[in-house]
Amino acid sequence: MSAPISKTLRTSAGLIFAFLYLPLAALIAFSVNQSSSTVWAGFSMRWYQELWSDPQILSATANSLLIAATSTVLATIIGTLAAYGLWKRQSRLLVSTVYLSLVTPEIVMGVALLAFYQAVFRYLDVQLGMHTVILAHISFCFAYVVLVVLARLRNMDASLEEAALDLGATEWQAFYRVTLPCIAPAVAAGALLAFSTSLDDYVITSLVAGVDSETLPMVIYAKARRAISPSINALCAIIVVAVGSLVLLSQRLQRS
Amino acid sequence: MTGTRRTFFLGLAGLAGCTRDSRPRLNVYNWSDYIAPETITRFQQQTGSRIHYANYESNEELLSKVFSGNSGWDVIFPSHYFLQPLQQNGLLLPLQAGRLPLLPNLTAEMRSPSWDPSLDWCVPYMLGAAGIVHQRSVKVTDPSWDLLWNEALRGKVTMLDDPGDTIGAALLKLGFPLNTGDASALQQAKQALIAQKQMLRAYLNSETRQGLVGGDIQASHLWATVALLAMDESEELSFYYPREGYARYADCAVVLKESRHPELAHEFLNFLLQPEVAAANAEAALATTTNQEARRVLPVELRDSLALFPDAVTLSRGQWFEPLPPDVQRLRDRIWTEVKAH
Amino acid sequence: MNLRRIFLAPAWVMTAIFLVLPLFVVLAYSFLTRGAYGGLQLPWTTESYQRLVDPLYLSILGRSFLLAAVVTLVSLLVAYPLALFISRSGRRKMLWLNLVMLPFFTSLLVRTYAWVFLLRDTGLFNTVLLSVGLIQEPLPLLYNDGAVVLGLVYSYLPFMVLPIFANLERIDPNLLEAAADLGESPLWALWRVLAPLSRPGIVAGSVLVFIPSLGSYLTPDLLGGGKSVWVGNVIQNQFTNARDWPFGAALGVCLMLLVLGLMRLWQSKGGGELG
Repeated sequence: MSAPISKTLRTSAGLIFAFLYLPLAALIAFSVNQSSSTVWAGFSMRWYQELWSDPQILSATANSLLIAATSTVLATIIGTLAAYGLWKRQSRLLVSTVYLSLVTPEIVMGVALLAFYQAVFRYLDVQLGMHTVILAHISFCFAYVVLVVLARLRNMDASLEEAALDLGATEWQAFYRVTLPCIAPAVAAGALLAFSTSLDDYVITSLVAGVDSETLPMVIYAKARRAISPSINALCAIIVVAVGSLVLLSQRLQRS
Repeated sequence: MTGTRRTFFLGLAGLAGCTRDSRPRLNVYNWSDYIAPETITRFQQQTGSRIHYANYESNEELLSKVFSGNSGWDVIFPSHYFLQPLQQNGLLLPLQAGRLPLLPNLTAEMRSPSWDPSLDWCVPYMLGAAGIVHQRSVKVTDPSWDLLWNEALRGKVTMLDDPGDTIGAALLKLGFPLNTGDASALQQAKQALIAQKQMLRAYLNSETRQGLVGGDIQASHLWATVALLAMDESEELSFYYPREGYARYADCAVVLKESRHPELAHEFLNFLLQPEVAAANAEAALATTTNQEARRVLPVELRDSLALFPDAVTLSRGQWFEPLPPDVQRLRDRIWTEVKAH
Repeated sequence: MNLRRIFLAPAWVMTAIFLVLPLFVVLAYSFLTRGAYGGLQLPWTTESYQRLVDPLYLSILGRSFLLAAVVTLVSLLVAYPLALFISRSGRRKMLWLNLVMLPFFTSLLVRTYAWVFLLRDTGLFNTVLLSVGLIQEPLPLLYNDGAVVLGLVYSYLPFMVLPIFANLERIDPNLLEAAADLGESPLWALWRVLAPLSRPGIVAGSVLVFIPSLGSYLTPDLLGGGKSVWVGNVIQNQFTNARDWPFGAALGVCLMLLVLGLMRLWQSKGGGELG
């Protein structure tokens, strides 16, 4: 039924895919280069060893994973519940605020949160730290979850829930036993989106991070700015492969 | 392999042990690559405390973090011209000289610097300055700022991406004082920078090292420490301080008023004044130490480096950065935006 | 107790405290005065907004707009063939879609740095060109507006591909057959039939690319070499170097209003149901 794919279309698509993957492939390829220049000098894992022996990188990785995991769990819960509530009955105000969180430029959001935290800290004896970063991440991640789950809900057959209610289930049971399993793939997709967004964030995190909360993007940015060793290529390669595998894995799970 | 594995577990333990470790913890926030790793481990062993060490890349980043007064940091290393804003906003803890017996190790100039004559607030740590680094193939007969405006080097020159240093360079080139607030002087500096932008490769800080070492950048406006790093990697580079004058700064250790471990902080500052410790730090940072005892034990290439310890004539041409009044700051910021947006 | 209310409560709390309130704080800051050494102080004033109405800042805003538009246009030209290809790929559609999305999941910072790695003087492109003798000296590929546009197109391409693809999927294939029967070349069919029918997707994709590009900060920072100043860079500068929070806040408010205005415009023209 699909229209035929002309030769030019196929070549253009191929070129564009190459464009998409060339930079990442180059990073990965040269992360195992013996020399620090872009001239191939043989295979070597030295840059990975350099990363492994750097305590700053290890603690930043631990921080990033902790922040991303916590933010994802909470953002997914809040987002899924909100999407369900919005599906039951529209709330223009909440939907607009969710949009707001999506379109606000990151720099404005980061600056706003920093200003907000500083204003609040005048009255509460709190400091910038993991908690401030996690709260910030939840606030910009849950909007993605709402988007994805709401889209799925709108495509779902509402009569399933009605049938459950007719058969005597409570509202909660109808949600938990009927709807939730149905939208589970969308919830997973939303969670993945939230996780990668949180793991990736630099602008907002760098502004609201405290003493103990240096994250991977902050390390990458500092390394990119100081242009020291190609260990940054190794770091990037790890991230690409790790996140890529996570995405592929979730696709597999969703299909089964 | 045991070394790296040990570091890995130390790193993990350090993170996990944050809340469970009973040893007092000092949070030190410093410039990157500005301390010898052994300094931290030795202090931890000697005092039975822990140090949490992190880096920042600019004074402004530092200031924005500590401004609220409860950032969590104990010891920070602002540049000297940032001491006034910090102090005026009540963010600094007055230092107790009694807890710093090694202060006499500092050079005479640093024991009574113009910005803090009785060292009530800070202990000068490292000195720095920005000059010009160039390929030896570029013949320089007159050590001047003009090299960075030389048409023959079009597309192969970089300037620092720092308003203070770069506007300062233009002012000095034109013969004005570094910290002038004179509007017409600043406008002329602006014109000079706009004219330069056409032939500039980019505004870069440390990233320019690669281009210098690779030979693609012919001349750069660069800090002495970074220039030395580049010169370590390439024999073809040479550094000088321009004859019209150059900007100097001193990164000073201060204790924040919010610090929960003021005595430990003082101990750390005193520890940094030990000659071997200061020398190790200076070697790791490739910076000018403020410690005269330390200078004696530095390796020869560093002790006699003209980039780090210029001769008296050159030194006399150095000008210290000063904190600027708000209206001058605003004018400079506007000029910087104008130059960048041109 | 209404289940729906309970479900919505956490979302309300999050958005109220961590979204709306901070934005109001920024709004408040934009009406304050800069303290002597940074920070804020009374009195309330509209001075920051008055300073905004200035050829310098308006031109920066205008330039960011223009460059964001260029990014959007280039994205469209690159994304359309890809979306078309995927929509005609029968059973392999999901595979291609996933492949398009995959780079997006890795960090923006990583993807932007990858272009630094490729484009700089000692980067891959120059090394290859030099080694085959096509050039004698490295080309200055990095540190200019072109590099920034390239980086932004690369970062937001999936946002353009997905809506166009979704739209193409909904077009009645009979229309395309009819166009093919009637028309001369496939290009004619594309221009006169397909493009107008996929307009909603094109508009949606354009909005999704334009808005983040307008407010971008990291990409100009890393790829522009300090020579490319976007609104995001100026805002960031106010909160760091210039220590002029009120002015930075005013710029931020301005940017927000622009973005919200664009969203409003898009919604009024019938688009905007992202759900």
